Amino acid sequence: MKTIALRTAKSNQLYIRGLLRRYGTMAGFVMIVVFFSLLRPGTFLSPINLRNILEQISILAIVASTMTIVMVVGDFDLSIGSLASLCGVITASLLLHGVGLFPVIVAGFVLGALAGAFNGLLVSYLRLSAFVSTLATMTAFRGLALWYTDGSTLFNLPAAFLTIGQGSVGPMPAPILVVFSVLGVSWLVLTQTTLGRRWYAVGGNPEAAFLSGIDTKRLRFYAFVVSGLGASLAGIVLTSRLASAHPLAGEPLMLTSIAAVFLGMTMFKEGQPNIPGTFVGVLILGVLNNGLNIAQVNSYIQEILIGATIILAVLVSGLARRRI
Amino acid sequence: MLSTSRYRMKGMKGLVLAALVIVSLVAAACAAPAAPTSAPSAGGSTKASSGAAKRIALVTPYMANATTKQVIDLFSKYAKEKGWEVGTTDTAGDFDKLVGAIQNAVAQKVDAIVLGMGDPAQMSKGLTAAKEANIPVFGIDAGVAPDVVANITSDNAALGTMSAEDLAQRIGKKGNVVMFTHDPHPGVNARAKAAAAVFEKYPDIKVIDKRHVNVPGPVDNARKIMQDLLTARPEKGSIAGAWAGWDEPALGATQAILAAGRTEMAVVGVDGTDFAKAEIKKGGPFKSTVEQDWDGIARKTVELVGDYFQGKKLDRNLYTLPGKLITPENLK
Repeated sequence: MKTIALRTAKSNQLYIRGLLRRYGTMAGFVMIVVFFSLLRPGTFLSPINLRNILEQISILAIVASTMTIVMVVGDFDLSIGSLASLCGVITASLLLHGVGLFPVIVAGFVLGALAGAFNGLLVSYLRLSAFVSTLATMTAFRGLALWYTDGSTLFNLPAAFLTIGQGSVGPMPAPILVVFSVLGVSWLVLTQTTLGRRWYAVGGNPEAAFLSGIDTKRLRFYAFVVSGLGASLAGIVLTSRLASAHPLAGEPLMLTSIAAVFLGMTMFKEGQPNIPGTFVGVLILGVLNNGLNIAQVNSYIQEILIGATIILAVLVSGLARRRI
Repeated sequence: MLSTSRYRMKGMKGLVLAALVIVSLVAAACAAPAAPTSAPSAGGSTKASSGAAKRIALVTPYMANATTKQVIDLFSKYAKEKGWEVGTTDTAGDFDKLVGAIQNAVAQKVDAIVLGMGDPAQMSKGLTAAKEANIPVFGIDAGVAPDVVANITSDNAALGTMSAEDLAQRIGKKGNVVMFTHDPHPGVNARAKAAAAVFEKYPDIKVIDKRHVNVPGPVDNARKIMQDLLTARPEKGSIAGAWAGWDEPALGATQAILAAGRTEMAVVGVDGTDFAKAEIKKGGPFKSTVEQDWDGIARKTVELVGDYFQGKKLDRNLYTLPGKLITPENLK
């Protein structure tokens, strides 16, 4: 009798823990939304504010999507923030020199892909740790951007370029459409293609993946190229949104995108990085910033609250004991 | 397969080695000479004799910063007009090397050392060496310190007062105001304190929010904050103006205001950057900025160094110059 009761209590406990692990982050997100809706009724959930939130998270969502892929293969890319800035200043400067819109955007992507390929070369083929090599390229890209611009801000960009970050299709701001495309493509590739499944295999167990005939080096290399492309796209959209390019503009993206992927890892699939989770992670960070701003909470307190939220999410999901 | 990949590895290593060699060669070619270039090496012994050109060692950690470069170039220009020789050393943010550069200058027995920005508290060892050798040290926007004869800079409080006063006038001395600040930066901090004092002076102006702007990424950060504050107060006229401690957040706030169609608002910044001037010229919500008078600071420094050479005693160790208000009216 006693043992049975104990067993049910224990299985209940396990069941609740399982629920918390799977849906804790999602529930947390819903609670945050409900909290701000009650705190600022009529304002927080207004269509304008919802659109604002999506617009505010757009650039973070782009880099977080491609960061997810790098983290799926078990690496980090610390250089994305400074690469985004570098691509921003290079595209801006080409535009200011009168180069056409289309070639400029292509040039931005090529630069991003090359920089990503360089990271991939260091990590995959020269076997440096991703942390060290992307830390080094982060510094180098930042130096290049500062040197190229002499530390100054580039502005007076042509109107056609500004539509990327400031225009809208119907009621939808253009950057949001870009975000949904990037999220959609990343999700499709990660879940519906051989490439995606192999990426997960490399991240899950590189040795097993190698022994089953997967070219793990090449796959990790590709992941960094994708990350470079994501950074360049973010840099272009950011430059267009701000109608100006600054050599340090993309810096905050690196840490926040990693935080978003971690938040997303606390949802679904055994703590693996995944696109829907990353999107929720980005939303949590975006909604927190937006809601705390609307509630006019002190800036310093905001940072503390955001840090506490990340810790709470990871704790509740039980990831703390598993991988991270 | 294994062997080919090993060959590939070897080829790769060769490539990397080649790359490293190229990088170091380029670095060597680009590197700035460590000692003041135009200071004649034999000058030390001839220094005492009168009539010889005065030699000045200018040391800076921040030559890569556009503003620093501007004021240093201006100083060098006016100093050369006086017939002085100026040798410049940039240590690219390295204060340890900066101390070394000051010691080198002392060893070469220059007539004066000028600091191109940088906190003197971090170079005390070099400053002591200069003092022992009786070589005067002047600071351009560096900081006041016991071993610095005089520091010549903008008065940050005055910059803040000037921009806040302009905002107050433009919003008719009444309404709600938002402030964008960055308190850990001493200069911006001083500007914000002075600006707050101005707003306090007007009973109908209320500072409804004071926001910390993150650096780097201040434009985007300020833009988001302003957007959210406008969402929180959607009625037109409910926020009259925004004061920013420097130009980047003022630009971000302006963009949010334009996007929300709240063009009744006025925004002011500080620094007189090119992008701020371009925005002010458009006649939108960005109404003014305050330019630091770098030309005046450079001229004043040359004047004070000259006074010192003529044996005049300086009456204080801090000289501040007012800024210049840039408005749509005076940009035309």
